[in-house]
Amino acid sequence: MRSYQSVLILKPDIDEPRVAEALEKIGEFIKSNGGACLKVENWGKKRLAYRVKKNRFGIYLNLYHTLESAKVVELETKYKLYDLIIKYMVVRLDDDELERALGKETEAEGEAKDEDKDGKTEKKAEVKAEEKTEEKTEEKAEVKAEE
Amino acid sequence: MPETKKSSVFSQKICRFCNEDQSKVYIDFYDVKALKPLISERGKIVPSRISGNCAKCQRILTRAIKKARSIALLPFAVEH
Repeated sequence: MRSYQSVLILKPDIDEPRVAEALEKIGEFIKSNGGACLKVENWGKKRLAYRVKKNRFGIYLNLYHTLESAKVVELETKYKLYDLIIKYMVVRLDDDELERALGKETEAEGEAKDEDKDGKTEKKAEVKAEEKTEEKTEEKAEVKAEE
Repeated sequence: MPETKKSSVFSQKICRFCNEDQSKVYIDFYDVKALKPLISERGKIVPSRISGNCAKCQRILTRAIKKARSIALLPFAVEH
């Protein structure tokens, strides 16, 4: 029995009940194959770094679970055939990595909010900087004209 | 002055992941905030000679970035 981390990207346009439904389905599959779901994280809707099956956004789910190593292939085919999942990754975890992951509280949710705020402030700063440079160039042009 | 402007962004030649007590280094592939400064504008991994990371941490970092790429948290290439 080994421990794994599954990161799943679901379609962005599904609502929360369907996300819960999908989670339940996956959890049941893991249990029925002798594994155990240790921790489930929902990272929420995120912008993807590149397009995946024509989607720009995706709902990220993060599962920590144990599973028999022979059953991982089955789990992956299950992910592949499940139409709500657009991308998946199963990573094997060592014991210390798993302990570390389980020890962490849900920091990911807080980070997501922070990122949004940062993005907004950055945009504002950029706009301001652009305005300033424009003003400066205009001033210079005026000075030159006067000369 | 032998020092050029290039080093101003990553001025300190100190590994940013090594701990003082020499404990094991963990870099999470989903910690995008930590990985973002270590990829270039085009999405390339910044070499350790520029970032100043030690060879061991750079290897762990590279693996983390590649995992993050495969699950669409980081780009393979940024197109201009």
